[in-house]
Amino acid sequence: MSRPVSTSFFSPRRVLIIAQSTVTQLVRMKIFYFLAPVALLFLGLQFFDALWFEGPEALMPEQELRMHKNICLGTMMLFTSLFAIVSTALLIPGDIEDRTLYTILCKPVPRLDYLIGKLVGVIAVIFIAMLVMDVLLVATLHFRTEEKLLVMTDYMVKIGYPEREIAAGRAEIAAHGPTMILQFGVLSHFLKACVIAAVALLISTFSTSTLFTIATSAMIWIIGSFQSIARDGLFNDATFGEAPGWADKIVGTLISLVFPDFQLFEAISDAAARAENVLPADMAQLAGLSAVYIGIYVVLSWFVFSDKEF
Amino acid sequence: MSEIAAVEVKNLVKDFKGPFRGKQVHAVRDVSLQIAPGEVYGLIGPNGSGKSTTMKAVLGLVAPTSGSCAIFGRNSTKVDSRSEVGFLPENPYFYKHLTAAETVRFYGKLCGMRGRVLKERIEEMLELVGLQDARDRRLRGFSKGMLQRIGLAQALVQDPRLVILDEPTAGVDPKGSREIRDLILELKNRGITVFLCSHLLEQVQEICDRVGIIHEGVLVNEGRLDDLISVENETELILQNASPELMEQIRTLVEVTHGAGIVSEGQARTTLENLFLKETQTKAVSRVRKERKRLSK
Repeated sequence: MSRPVSTSFFSPRRVLIIAQSTVTQLVRMKIFYFLAPVALLFLGLQFFDALWFEGPEALMPEQELRMHKNICLGTMMLFTSLFAIVSTALLIPGDIEDRTLYTILCKPVPRLDYLIGKLVGVIAVIFIAMLVMDVLLVATLHFRTEEKLLVMTDYMVKIGYPEREIAAGRAEIAAHGPTMILQFGVLSHFLKACVIAAVALLISTFSTSTLFTIATSAMIWIIGSFQSIARDGLFNDATFGEAPGWADKIVGTLISLVFPDFQLFEAISDAAARAENVLPADMAQLAGLSAVYIGIYVVLSWFVFSDKEF
Repeated sequence: MSEIAAVEVKNLVKDFKGPFRGKQVHAVRDVSLQIAPGEVYGLIGPNGSGKSTTMKAVLGLVAPTSGSCAIFGRNSTKVDSRSEVGFLPENPYFYKHLTAAETVRFYGKLCGMRGRVLKERIEEMLELVGLQDARDRRLRGFSKGMLQRIGLAQALVQDPRLVILDEPTAGVDPKGSREIRDLILELKNRGITVFLCSHLLEQVQEICDRVGIIHEGVLVNEGRLDDLISVENETELILQNASPELMEQIRTLVEVTHGAGIVSEGQARTTLENLFLKETQTKAVSRVRKERKRLSK
């Protein structure tokens, strides 16, 4: 028979058990099926270049590759963000509604472990999905870049470009291929999805239904994506031609405190798509900011959930 | 009680606020009870009387408005107290994507079990609740009775000293219900304390040592079952193969005794449940015999 044991305030092992169960749950809910249309889209993009590469208005190869990256990164962002919201919103309210939570919390499981376990599970699934999409992106972009390099080199040699200019042209095209900077763009979307999952976690701790959690999280996602524009409008005199009032400043500060600024993540992703230089330090800063956001949302979730009655 | 009580509820009050500052609901009002280790305690009462709220307070799922609950001396609001409790909720739902074995494994792991000990315990629990054949089936296809059994398996996985059962036989057929009842008695024999809520008073009567009756949040009566249900000035006598002559002699004897009288007299009856079990078992045995006979021909 069991004897009294002291239950630690936080146990990574218990978190891992709950995270593992969450991954199994999401996998068996066939959540990865959404990767099929993504794969089709990525592969389908390969066939569009012929239309754009002819005639006077044809796109330059690097423009075409940038468009490829923009579409793929945008798709990845959309799918992972939606996935983060829906899967998190399904899990905790689902456990409460069908009373599975009773049996879990009646075991020696601190509520913090349960919350973090669920979040880690969702993040793990997002990571797997992102990895699959990233492999697809890298593979399709690699073939497309190689093709462009071949065509452009042939074309430039035929016209009689000097060796130096051919090399410069090739380098410019190669910069739009699968580079480390592109990986920073992918990583920024992953971090953004993690922050969105943490937001959905917080909402699901006080929400009474899955629908409410999804709707509210989506609203925060949208506000977070445009809050920097709103802040610019409120704080920047030049935007609307008049100085902001104290009420505008308060609203602006509140928005920036409550809603995460997703524009920061988009900035890295856009720079990656344009093959502009993204420093590892910028990426580390974004990762740090994400960790702060996630930390704040987890602490708030715990604060709400620790006193919740079932 | 000199030793630490398995469950101790002291002056428990639980109020729920109505929506939009509406009227407060007094779910439990000043309930106090103690359950000794090894005892089977039944809490009975009509729907909405506060049974489940009391159980939830004991399990730490709701916080008392005032008063306290403790499990083996540990405050119920602390996570530590739950290492010694197994809980089976009414109409239990578990992760439907897991198999029976995976479900028991999941709850075992949450209790800190691992390795060979956990593996053996899973098999032991599945055998105990009679679900070995369904060990690799997902819970999605389980009947209500099977879910109740897997609920019992998860409640017992860490070998707790206290088991809390909320309507353990709800939705289970009489045979399954009897098996669960036997299991509770088996737990009692092993020294495990059982705290149960049930609407089925006959079952409570059969298995509980002590009973509490709760009504509108108030514990209106509590005590040893024998003391509560015995009628002080009446004695029951059940005779087997009593001849009419013997019956006549008894009647005469009672008539001549001052102050004594026969309140009722009649054929002893079995319960409908016993009849059902007897009939279904007999029919099943005879069907198996006929089938065997047919196959041997």
